[in-house]
Amino acid sequence: MFALLRALVILLFGILTIQLIRMQVIHGAGYSHQAEINALREVQVPSARGLVYDRNMQPLVQNTARFSAAIVPGDLPHRGETGVYRTLEQAIGVPVAEIEQRVKEGIDRQGPYSPVVIKGDVDRDTALALTELEPHMPGLKVLVQPARRYLAGPILSHELGYVGPLSQDEYDRLSGSGYLLQDYIGKSGVEATYESILRGKPGKKLIEVDAAGRELKVISERPPVDGSNLVLSIDLDLQKKVADVLREATGPDDNAAAVVMDIHTGEVLAMVSLPTFDNNIFSGPLSEEALAQLINSPAKPLVNHGIAERYPPGSTFKTIVGSAALQEGVANTSTTITSRGYITVQNEYDPNVVYVFKDWAALGPLDFYRGVAMSSDVYFYYLAGGKADEGFRGLGEERVAKYARAFGLGEPTGVDLPGESAGIVPDAQWKEETFHEPWTVGDTYNFGIGQGYLAVTPLQMVCAVSAIANGGELLTPHLLKDVQDSHGNVLEQQDKKVRGTVPVDPGYLEIMRDAMRQSVTSGVANTAAVPGLAVAGKTGTAEFGPPRADGSHETHGWFVGFAPYEDPQVAVVVFVQRGGGGQQAAPAAAKILQYYFQGTRLAQKPEEGR
Amino acid sequence: MERRLVRHFDLLLLLLAAALVSYGALLIYSAAQTTHPDGISGLGHPLVKQIAFAVVGLGITLAVAWLDYRVFGQMAPGLYGLALLMLAAVLVVGDSAFGSRRWFTVAGMQIQASEMAKLMMIVALARFLADRQPQMHKVSVFLQSLAMTAVPAALVMAEPDMGTAIIFGAIWLGMVLIAGAPVRYVSVLLGFLVATIPFATLAVMGDYQRERIGDWLNPNADPLGGGFNIRQAEIAIGSGGPFGKGLMHGSQTQLDFLQTPTTDYIFSVLGEELGLVGALLLFALFTALLFRGIRAATLARDQFGRLLATGIVIMILFQVFINVAVNIRLLPVTGIPLPFISQGGSSLVMLFGALGLLEGIVLRHKQIEF
Repeated sequence: MFALLRALVILLFGILTIQLIRMQVIHGAGYSHQAEINALREVQVPSARGLVYDRNMQPLVQNTARFSAAIVPGDLPHRGETGVYRTLEQAIGVPVAEIEQRVKEGIDRQGPYSPVVIKGDVDRDTALALTELEPHMPGLKVLVQPARRYLAGPILSHELGYVGPLSQDEYDRLSGSGYLLQDYIGKSGVEATYESILRGKPGKKLIEVDAAGRELKVISERPPVDGSNLVLSIDLDLQKKVADVLREATGPDDNAAAVVMDIHTGEVLAMVSLPTFDNNIFSGPLSEEALAQLINSPAKPLVNHGIAERYPPGSTFKTIVGSAALQEGVANTSTTITSRGYITVQNEYDPNVVYVFKDWAALGPLDFYRGVAMSSDVYFYYLAGGKADEGFRGLGEERVAKYARAFGLGEPTGVDLPGESAGIVPDAQWKEETFHEPWTVGDTYNFGIGQGYLAVTPLQMVCAVSAIANGGELLTPHLLKDVQDSHGNVLEQQDKKVRGTVPVDPGYLEIMRDAMRQSVTSGVANTAAVPGLAVAGKTGTAEFGPPRADGSHETHGWFVGFAPYEDPQVAVVVFVQRGGGGQQAAPAAAKILQYYFQGTRLAQKPEEGR
Repeated sequence: MERRLVRHFDLLLLLLAAALVSYGALLIYSAAQTTHPDGISGLGHPLVKQIAFAVVGLGITLAVAWLDYRVFGQMAPGLYGLALLMLAAVLVVGDSAFGSRRWFTVAGMQIQASEMAKLMMIVALARFLADRQPQMHKVSVFLQSLAMTAVPAALVMAEPDMGTAIIFGAIWLGMVLIAGAPVRYVSVLLGFLVATIPFATLAVMGDYQRERIGDWLNPNADPLGGGFNIRQAEIAIGSGGPFGKGLMHGSQTQLDFLQTPTTDYIFSVLGEELGLVGALLLFALFTALLFRGIRAATLARDQFGRLLATGIVIMILFQVFINVAVNIRLLPVTGIPLPFISQGGSSLVMLFGALGLLEGIVLRHKQIEF
């Protein structure tokens, strides 16, 4: 009987041993892995986001912090939590009962060791006061999250953009590159374009946690690499001036845009879109209503009208049509056309139907220079559409479109800002596909004076004019000047990028420049004149929308130009949504150029600059 | 008598017990790191308490060994009554923990009634069966002994402490078989029990026991609730591998993933930190200890001594088996301490008392003196 008892001892320990061998030897590796997952957690160490400066190293952005008051339920003193709650109530005004409720919900949702935010966006003074209380109030925690403060506020909102929490879509796309759901990401402007440079590389920390998820010790750590700083080509002082000038030239609810660009490098010196918004609001708590108001406002303040909206360019387009006509031999400097104030075209199928295309005035006989300077529509009807009954062969829709595209219209300029529009360069095929209607000679006439289906962005126009001013190089505009590390060492220089060369002989471009100069000295753009500065340019007054009761239209006012005429340096475009080229846009451009060339900061002009 | 005491005292038995307690002390120290990170800084440390109880226990062993074990046989009816009284009292005035009432506090010390009752029960049953040695074939004796065990087992069950109730059953079974009860009685009884399992699960078991069995069958169904301990213990032991992670270096233990790591789940600490090798060493020590216990039974001068030793051996054997089996997921969770290893004064004192009885049996065995 006792032998059986001994056997039972051996048997039972044998069973235990077999199970142990199964667990520890056969499946040991699997369990080891699980134990590791249990105890080790990888957490991200955020990197400081890069700063942004203007071309004169004026800071445009600051990294600040957002403070939230939170409770870590697991650290609350035993039976003493009400004391902590009461202190918090006094500091931030959230009643004890509500704090209690939130803490309870927090524990249910994420366990006792995850902080429960009681109030987000506590102001700095309160946060400081609470931070001082922290050591005496176990369970109380002030959470600090990085935030951006934009020093120029609304002046540069469209260009700098803003950062915001990752959307679910962005997270799905970017979680592979180390983004966490609670991360912030550039949402628009250069914050978005240069996200990877600004963000840097977050560090990683492998920590050991206990069963409650508390950090015990750091096993290994890879320090974060802070983001690099951006130096923009924007001149903040000029930007402010442009914004002021533009605001004077436009109604409060109207759109307006202006861009000043270096014609040799493509650097954007100023870019203003009105109305604007303060991008700092995205760094704080933004109510649904406030956001909805911004989005739904008819003037679309969030949109950068300099790049994202397209408008008919009106007569400013004549600079391109004129250049094309010279190059194609359709016109030369002495080609003279008489404007009687209108031009008529017979219907192709029914000669009794006659269409009338008006000029803005009966300007009489005009040579090429005067045609441009006086902005004669009739002159450009001839150049673009020809006059079959007089034997004058125009460029035709196909060639106008070809040159429009060669000057960069109909495609994004490639500027380093998100949300750019391509615009529209129409042709017969486009019209057929879009409207299922054949192209008519009338369409070509409208096309020739920048009306009809053609639609451009102000930035596209300033690039086209830059090409005329610099002898034919179509440049990619850019806001980035260089990338620097925190010590000011240049890491990466943004070089000039040439998109292409316009297919027009430099000689013909010189003629066009001459014509644009005459437009300012003795033509319709005389309001753009600046004493002591040779400004060259072209106005545009583009009709848009349905005709008014008297048959006239509302008009956009445009001015494109460059200066100085003898040695062009910068090009400028001014667009006002409701206004005339000569009345609003050209005077605004004059003030901008005057400030740029003759303002108080003469020494800081880029070509003479640092 | 003096000479005989010294000559026949089973020093090896006591040394094996001391080895087990020391082994347990190491594990308790390691497992207590999470609650006492500064090591031993005062008398409150579980290791200090454990050693104190071991010293007290050693005294009890010697005292019990010195007394003739047959004295306890004479006291058997009283001891049985006392056991029932304690088990009943704990249900009324006991402290509860982890959903059951198992302790009552006397003079600042927590006493686990069922630990004491186990040993008293063994003494009483040994006396009862030894007195009826010639009538062991009778059904009435068999049933009386069963009833005698069933009453305290039912009281323990009511705490509820299913594990200890099962130990009571195992002790009874082993003792009646050694006492010479016909195997067919046992077979019929076991057959009957198996047949009633479905009813028992529905009628007798509380929700708490059903839940535990459910957790055992599928710990992942509720990984953060009841299944958590089972799962974490399993991970701890499995991840220990053949040689363990080293004492004080088990991540599961040191990072607080184990519940009650100094008591019911101390084997998980051992499995994780000392691996299969450590477990085999533990099994070897227990096997040797139990074999010394069986030796005492074979040497016993009378039936009472034989049954007493058998009961003690079976008690220790089943406690070890059930405790370890729970840790390695062979059985559902029931709170049974690992003898000599788990932290706990009542258990340790009772075990040293039992060792004293075994020593007493060896000391007064039928000897052929040369």
